Amino acid sequence: MTAPFDPGRGYGLNPAVALRPEPFGALAYHFGNRRLSFLKAPELVELVRGLASHRCVSDALAAVPEGRRDAYLRALASLAAADMIVPQQARSEVA
Amino acid sequence: MQQDTLTDASPADAPPRVSDDLDAGREPEIAEELLVEEISIDGMCGVY
Repeated sequence: MTAPFDPGRGYGLNPAVALRPEPFGALAYHFGNRRLSFLKAPELVELVRGLASHRCVSDALAAVPEGRRDAYLRALASLAAADMIVPQQARSEVA
Repeated sequence: MQQDTLTDASPADAPPRVSDDLDAGREPEIAEELLVEEISIDGMCGVY
């Protein structure tokens, strides 16, 4: 089970996920649960790729135009629910 | 009189209001739906 998505936490791409660039954005394939997600906006792909460099999701969303933040937040929440992105804290606690 | 009635009966702002409301209501929902689409390929092979 995945933890509830929390925009106040830092997230990053799951190491078990491969992102393949596509003209529409990217394909995300999870080698663990075999889920395939279509990221249908290049901006969303950029956001996901750079997510780990931000302290929290809200911080990362600051670069997104205000009118689109809610949509991107929901997109990230669905990616978290699919285990495509995972909380960063888990990694730093281990390291 | 007819001219006055016709002029008053066709306010230019009525139709745009309706379409603006519809557009404003639809676009965000569509955008959210299109950002991420998930499928499961469990049981399929040869994708990668």
